[in-house]
Amino acid sequence: MKEFMMIFSGADYTDLGLSPEEMQSRMGKWFAWGDKMEKSGVLRGGNALTPSIRRVIGPNRTVTDLTSAEVKEIVGGYYLVSARDFDHVQEIAQDFPDYDLNGTVEIREIMVFDQ
Amino acid sequence: MELLKSEKLWFLTNKEPIKPQLIDHLFRHHYGKMVSVLTRIFGLSHLEIIEDAIQDTFIKATISWKNTPPEYPEAWLTQAAKNRVLDIFRKLKAERKRIPHIQSGMEAIAIHDLFLDSEIEDSQLRMIFTACHPELAPQDRIAFALKTVSGFSIKEIASALLTKEDTIKKRLTRARAVIKSKAIVFQIPQGNALPERLESVMEVLYLIFNEGFHSNKKDILIRKELCAEAMRLCKMLFKNKETTTTAAYALFALMCFHAARIDSKTSIDNELLDLRHQDRSLWYFPLVKIGDDAMHKAVDNESYSCYHYEAAIAAEHLKARTFEETNWQAILKWYRLLYDLQPIPIHLLNMAVVELQDGRHSESYTLLQQLQPESLGQRAYLYYGTLTEYYIQRKDFPKAIEHIDKAISLVTNQLEKKYLEKKRLSLLI
Repeated sequence: MKEFMMIFSGADYTDLGLSPEEMQSRMGKWFAWGDKMEKSGVLRGGNALTPSIRRVIGPNRTVTDLTSAEVKEIVGGYYLVSARDFDHVQEIAQDFPDYDLNGTVEIREIMVFDQ
Repeated sequence: MELLKSEKLWFLTNKEPIKPQLIDHLFRHHYGKMVSVLTRIFGLSHLEIIEDAIQDTFIKATISWKNTPPEYPEAWLTQAAKNRVLDIFRKLKAERKRIPHIQSGMEAIAIHDLFLDSEIEDSQLRMIFTACHPELAPQDRIAFALKTVSGFSIKEIASALLTKEDTIKKRLTRARAVIKSKAIVFQIPQGNALPERLESVMEVLYLIFNEGFHSNKKDILIRKELCAEAMRLCKMLFKNKETTTTAAYALFALMCFHAARIDSKTSIDNELLDLRHQDRSLWYFPLVKIGDDAMHKAVDNESYSCYHYEAAIAAEHLKARTFEETNWQAILKWYRLLYDLQPIPIHLLNMAVVELQDGRHSESYTLLQQLQPESLGQRAYLYYGTLTEYYIQRKDFPKAIEHIDKAISLVTNQLEKKYLEKKRLSLLI
């Protein structure tokens, strides 16, 4: 088994004007997905990120504070899973709840260094 | 190292991980509660800031719950709303707006108490009375109530009422402007003012229910949601002694009786079915029972409202096991009493329909002749539909077709139009 990271990006919920009812139904889907991954034993961890961004860039270490409204896409969170290969993670990612909001799942393999 | 790992992954080792069961519509209902409470603290003039702040708490919930779902989601949301109180204070201060004085500890306790269940209910009732204030235009009342009390988004209101989002936005803006310009106070009216204001509240709830019950929206879920929401709001009236009236019970009973039939109103392919063709086995009798109980409370005194008679009529339909067993005489009696109380043309038309169902053509025709179709407004097509039925029973088919054509040309509801067209076709065969 290898470890992979699923990185979620897309529009922030704040900027989509979701209704309380819609947000609740999304929560239900996130819970169900988390549950499913736990039960099948693939879930290794994860975090959600707040939408505030501080960006430090360039040789001058220029600092910019951004809000989600100022960037097109924002990384909203990630999950760590253990899986056989990319295809396996792709299968897991089928239940990601926010595809209909044009959300993206980026799958990356955790690099393991052999000595 | 191994220990550290297992601690981090507590949710894998925990035998019974906490899985919050989100009650249906928890967010939506909570939104209404919290907006009402915060409005009580800060006043109606800050409604927009309050609505945004509550919306923020839900956003926050969706982010933080993904990893650590709270054991008591509702308590979490309430706490989040409480925390927002300070944020709003800061925001109002920064904008140099008038803010309520909260300095002493007593007042802070008072704010805390406003989040108790009974006080939340009181705040929500205040919001209902605000939304249904006679100073607001009738259409604006519905939109405003669905937004602030029921926690519907503009998109959801537009979709439920078959209206454009822009129209709903305008209605909400207008409602807020009227509340400001007329300095409407956030309270449950007392004394002499109460009966009239309560009348207005019941009318709005009745309209919301009808929007759901008579909508031609394909999506039965949305129709049911509107009906359920009207019933939920109606039930809130029973949380306060002053607003628990026999008329309110009658209105609630009426809603139960109608709602019990909602599944049988349309066929599987969303074709409108009349009472004769409805599958009565689909009627939901637990709801009829609740309506019955409410009706018993509604007849506690002798003063009957139009809701009493409408509920009685709905109950007569439910009593009949088959269409043929319908007690048309009883229904006619209720309609006459209803018309005495509320002499509006539509009741007269319904009486004509009932007479016709019972095979009394000439009585029906006499009633129809008292009617000006124009006086029925958008429902003028029903007048021609009834005349069609009259001519069918008289076997005067050319006249029947002539009138059904008029009905078809006037009807706006697509489901009803299809129903009439199908009937027209059957006349040609």
